[in-house]
Amino acid sequence: MPDLFAKYDLGSFCDEMFAGPGKPRAHYARLAERFSRLEGMRELHERQQLADQTFLRRGVTFTVYSDDRGTEKIFPFDLIPRIVPADEWAHLESGLIQRMTALNLFLADIYGPQHILREGIVPREMVETSKHFRREMVGFAMPRGLFVHINGSDLVRDQHGTYRVLEDNLRTPSGVSYVLENRQIMKRVFPNLIRDYRVRPVETYPNDLLALLMHLAPEHVPEPTVVLLTPGVFNSAYFEHSFLARQMGIEIVEGSDLVVEDDRVYMRRTDGLAPVHVIYRRIDDDFLDPTVFREDSLLGVPGLVNAYRKGNVALCNPIGTGVADDKAMYHYVPRMIKFYLGQDAILPNVDTFLSSDPKDMTYILENLPKLVVKSVNEAGGYGMLVGPHSTKEQIEEFRAKIIEHPRNFIAQPTLGISRCPSICGDCLEGRHIDLRPYILNGETIKIMPGGLTRVALRKGSLVVNSSQGGGSKDTWVLAADDGAAEAEPEAPEEIKV
Amino acid sequence: MLSRVANLVYWMARYLERAENTARIIDVNAQLVLDLQSRQAADDPRSWKPLVNVSGGIDEFTELHGDDVSERTVVDFMLFDMRNPSSILSCISLARENARCIRDQLASEVWEQINSFYLKLREDDYTRYAQLGSSDYIARVKTQIQLFYGIAESMLPRNEMWWFFELGRHLERADNTSRIIDVKYFTLLPSLHAVGSALDIVQWAAVLRTCSGFEAFRKSRRGQLNLEHVVDYLVCDENFPRSVLYAVSHAGFALDCITAEAPHLTDNPARRLVAQLHDELAGTVIADVIADGLHEYLDDIQLKLAGIHTAVQETFINYSTDGAKMLN
Repeated sequence: MPDLFAKYDLGSFCDEMFAGPGKPRAHYARLAERFSRLEGMRELHERQQLADQTFLRRGVTFTVYSDDRGTEKIFPFDLIPRIVPADEWAHLESGLIQRMTALNLFLADIYGPQHILREGIVPREMVETSKHFRREMVGFAMPRGLFVHINGSDLVRDQHGTYRVLEDNLRTPSGVSYVLENRQIMKRVFPNLIRDYRVRPVETYPNDLLALLMHLAPEHVPEPTVVLLTPGVFNSAYFEHSFLARQMGIEIVEGSDLVVEDDRVYMRRTDGLAPVHVIYRRIDDDFLDPTVFREDSLLGVPGLVNAYRKGNVALCNPIGTGVADDKAMYHYVPRMIKFYLGQDAILPNVDTFLSSDPKDMTYILENLPKLVVKSVNEAGGYGMLVGPHSTKEQIEEFRAKIIEHPRNFIAQPTLGISRCPSICGDCLEGRHIDLRPYILNGETIKIMPGGLTRVALRKGSLVVNSSQGGGSKDTWVLAADDGAAEAEPEAPEEIKV
Repeated sequence: MLSRVANLVYWMARYLERAENTARIIDVNAQLVLDLQSRQAADDPRSWKPLVNVSGGIDEFTELHGDDVSERTVVDFMLFDMRNPSSILSCISLARENARCIRDQLASEVWEQINSFYLKLREDDYTRYAQLGSSDYIARVKTQIQLFYGIAESMLPRNEMWWFFELGRHLERADNTSRIIDVKYFTLLPSLHAVGSALDIVQWAAVLRTCSGFEAFRKSRRGQLNLEHVVDYLVCDENFPRSVLYAVSHAGFALDCITAEAPHLTDNPARRLVAQLHDELAGTVIADVIADGLHEYLDDIQLKLAGIHTAVQETFINYSTDGAKMLN
């Protein structure tokens, strides 16, 4: 049998599979052994084809906005899984719970007493100039004291193998449907391998999400109606919206399906207007209610925000969470953890320079070709500059933008993030990956064991977003030998502010 | 169920039924042209033009092809042209788009069937049609649609969604069957004298086959194959599933099921119009109709079906929020 990894080049990055040339890490040994029994790349390609066809037939697709060759695409899927050993996962889990706890306290604080601003830990101006800070929500008693319900933090590993948080996604993080679909496919393609590895299941996510949504319902409603609000079938994540609605057995609605009468929300059914109590909304704050936010929004529901403020309907995520995933605010998260919990961050951030800080600004402008610059409000890999991979013109264009709007940008060193073997044409090569776990904050904090591993399939590329040529892999979190990691991890002690 | 979803299901059914009937219309025409037995007639624009007329797309067709009326241009227009909103590809693509919007509520096999069919059809073109030959190619298209119905029928729960599906399907079928009769009646005989000729009989047999009704017609003991008997069968038969009367009566049954759980909607305009049309059809004397003008009669049925469609929309889909029933 040919050794598929014979020519595998580790490069100068942390590699998920190999500790050194030809030396797989302990948790990849079984996979390396299994792959050595494949009939070379041919068999791997056959299995890859089976996977791709299944995705297409099932319509597991996403939409690219700026592509005129037809709008639907399969999210490329790579067969070689990312494997996370139990102890590594336990570490990630405790770090993510800590972070979620602090972010919730931070949002409760800035929409309430604002201690952290008074004490100058986070500059007041930073909050008040954030595009996603919703002044309308200050002083609002959030149902169950939960100011954020779902976070999809993006994690990367640096060249030393240390996991770092790259950003938080506290508005409408997407991608979880691919996690579940990827697993379905892998079960068909490598059934024995999954069983032998004792991979922890991810399938309970829709159930956990539904439990969270029910928990948010107004307390006087015994049998709440939960709906998922989508911008519509042309949205890039529509597949996911309909997937989750189906898995949870709830209605998927568009703005035009909902009406507000006497500050209560109803959906238009064939037999009349039926009440709605919880809305899992997959549209941004700006588009929720044209009478409060953007007047030109056709996606939203006039009167929704009033119904929400009256406590007649719950929204998930709540309005105003975006202030905490502003990429400049990210910089302050470790300080929030210290301030609210008295702890050091278990998962460190990536070093970040704020162009709104004059000292950092000088550094940024002097080092643009080395840095990654991100627009603080954009997501999906849009509006970003990867210095080492950019032309002089692109760099100068960003320099002008940064000088004009310092608050809108941050910069980070270009990280040599970890790589994982991936199928690249006729051989296996290392490609950069990240990891997006999904953290649910309901009665307790729950994290699905795994998450979306995105892979930058273009050679050398560091951008993993689906809109920028990224793909995904299945993420295998392994059960601990003694079953310890499957027990609920301890939540950090809660500190009231 | 949500009004918007009901509408998507209703239209999905209509598009599928329309695609199937377009396939049937092309099929009957291809067969009729063969029966004309003369090579010249087969290439005669007059052999293909009625098709475009009957499907109601004459303006779009002229815009695209001018006077170039041939099997190639007509079949291409009616099968594969996305610029023709009634082409089979357009219908399947729209039906699939609707299914995509509600796939959270469909059994995955149902969605996968329409999706695979669409992906396959999109790759086809006139060359492929010509390669396989008309009847073989059309048979494949029909089979794919029948497959969808079969899967849907065995998988979908008999809830409101199903009944909106049935409603759309039968309203569309009633309309389309009336158009199929029109294809034959309207234009295809070389001259009026030919009525009742051997050719005429062969052609009526082809029309029945198009509706998969030849054997059934024979068994119904209606006697001779002629204009009156065939039209009576296709319009007024109570048991034949593609007859106009049968389709209208099933649309009525679907409406009853839809409102079964909503007593405040039992008496609604759509239901009343369906009952009216049903009674008219049941009381039709075909000999009189033929004497007064069959084409006008069929036209009138199509107008009444359009009226039912509008009433369905106003009752269940686009109703005004003021005065709408508040549910608990």
